[in-house]
Amino acid sequence: MSVTIGASTLRGPVLAASGTFGYGTEVPLLERRALGGMVSKGIFLRPRAGTPPPRIAETPSGMLNAIGLQGPGVEALIRDYAPQWATWDFPVFVNINGESAAEYGELAARLDGVPGVAGFEINISCPNVEQGGLYFGNDPHAAAAVTEAVRRRTNLPVWVKLTPMVSDIGVIARAVESAGADALCAINTYVGMSIDLNTYRPRLSFRTGGLSGPAIRPLAVHLAHQAARAVRIPVVGVGGIARTEDALEFLVAGCTAVQVGTATFGNPRAIAEVHDGIAAFLDEKGFASLAELPRYLPRD
Amino acid sequence: MFVISMRAPEIAASVRAGQFVNLGWAPGPLLRRPFSVYRVAGEDVEIVLKAVGAGTAQLLAMEAGDRVSCLGPLGHGFALSPGPKTAVLVSGGLGVAPMPLAAAEARALGMHVTWVHGARSAEELCHESDGDEVVFATDDGSRGVRGTAVAAAPDADVVLACGPNRMLAAVSERWPDARVAVETYMGCGTGVCLGCAVPLSRGGYDRACKEGPVYRAADVDWRLLPSHLAYATSP
Repeated sequence: MSVTIGASTLRGPVLAASGTFGYGTEVPLLERRALGGMVSKGIFLRPRAGTPPPRIAETPSGMLNAIGLQGPGVEALIRDYAPQWATWDFPVFVNINGESAAEYGELAARLDGVPGVAGFEINISCPNVEQGGLYFGNDPHAAAAVTEAVRRRTNLPVWVKLTPMVSDIGVIARAVESAGADALCAINTYVGMSIDLNTYRPRLSFRTGGLSGPAIRPLAVHLAHQAARAVRIPVVGVGGIARTEDALEFLVAGCTAVQVGTATFGNPRAIAEVHDGIAAFLDEKGFASLAELPRYLPRD
Repeated sequence: MFVISMRAPEIAASVRAGQFVNLGWAPGPLLRRPFSVYRVAGEDVEIVLKAVGAGTAQLLAMEAGDRVSCLGPLGHGFALSPGPKTAVLVSGGLGVAPMPLAAAEARALGMHVTWVHGARSAEELCHESDGDEVVFATDDGSRGVRGTAVAAAPDADVVLACGPNRMLAAVSERWPDARVAVETYMGCGTGVCLGCAVPLSRGGYDRACKEGPVYRAADVDWRLLPSHLAYATSP
C-alpha cells in the first residue's frame, strides 16, 4: 500500500488533511498505524488569533468553516510540535501560509532542516483570511511566484494545495508544476455562505466560509482529475472523502494518494477505515498493489 | 425536555461534572452533537435534550437498544475542590444539564447546595432538587420569582452556572469568579477543528472542547460570544 510522491515514500495512501487533525497531538484514540502521513494545521510566521465565533455551520452533507488560520506561529510550532513529530513513524507536512510570496519563502527557510518537518503543503487556497490565501491560488503568476519562493528555500518536498475557485484548474496546476512543485493537493474548500433566519445575518461571523464534506466530493473528484490530467507530478486528492469508495474514486481518477479531512470530525476512525478498506478492495479485486489499480486518466 | 440514557461504563466511571460527550449515529448528521453529562446511574450516562433540529429529532426517535457512538468524557468540568461551605447552581433552561453531577460533587465535599432554576415560563422550568434549597425564577412570573435566575440567586462561596450565553454574561457581572459552562457550536469535540472558539478577556480564543467548556466567568469576552445558537437542519 506504500505510495511514492516525488521524493517521499509514504507507507500508505491516506493522509490526514490540514485543519482537521490539528498538530497530530490532540486525538489519542485515532488509529495512527493507518496514517500515510499528516498535514499540520496551517501556520503563519506569526501567531494569529483567528476569527470570532460562530466559526462553523453545518450544511446538508457538509460544513462551512471560517477559522481564520488561528495558530501559534512558526516558532511555537517548532518548539512545541516538531520535536514530537520527529519521533513518529509517519511524515508530517507543514501547511504554510503567508501574506506575500516572500513570507511563504521565509517560513520554508525557517522550517527547512527542523527535525520532524518532512515537507510543505503550500496553502494558496484558504478562503478565510483577509490577506493572501485564495488571492495567490486563483492567479497562475501569483501561484507560481509563491511556489518558486518556497522552492528556492528548501529541498524538502513541496506540495501545493489548490483552490477549486478557478475557471481552469489545469492552468494553475501547470503554473505551479513549472515553478517546481513536487505534488499538488486538490482541492481546498469552496467558498460558501449560509444565512441564519433568526437574525437575518450570515451564520458565520466572517460572513463566508469554506465548504467541506461529502457535499463537495463529486466537484473535488472532477477537479483533482482535471489537475492530474494537466500535469506530470502526482496529485493528492482531497474533498469530502468519508468512506473507502470515496477514496477509490479519487485514486482511479488519477490521484496518487488522498487526504481525509472533515470526516474525521464525526468519525475519528475514518482514516483507518478508509485505509483498511482500500487494502480490502485491492485484495478482493486481485490487485497485488495500489499500482495495479486501473486509472481513468486520459492526458490533456 | 427528554432524557436519553446510554450504556457507557468507562465514561460513567470517570466523568466529572461539567464534562460532555459528543454523540454520533448513523444515519445521522455529518457532525457529532455535544451534550453535557446529566446524570450517571451505574454503567449508564444520561443526557438531557430538546428537539431543536433534525439531529436531536433523530436522537429522540431512537428506540431502546439502538446504538450511538458516544465519545467522552470530553473537556474540563467544574473541578470542585474542598473548602467552600456553600454552592449555588444557576441554570437557565437546558442549562440544568451539568448540574445534577455538580450538586452531587458539591454535596460530597460538604457544601450546602442551592439550586436556582430559571426559564421563560413555568412550563419550561426544570425541577431538579438534589440539594438543600431550590429557587425558581420565570420571566413571566408563572412560577417562583418573576425575573431572571441570576437576580433570584443568593450569594455563595461557589457559583456554578450554565445556560444561554447572555445569562452567563449576567453571571459574570455579578460573580466574576463564578464557573460557567459555555455553549458553542462544535465541530470535532477533540480539539482539532478550532470551531468552538471561546473569546477570552485577555484576547484571543481557546477551545470550548479542550480548555472549556467550563470557564471562570470573567475570563470570557461575552460581547464576542453569540447567545442562542441556531442549529442546522442537516442532513
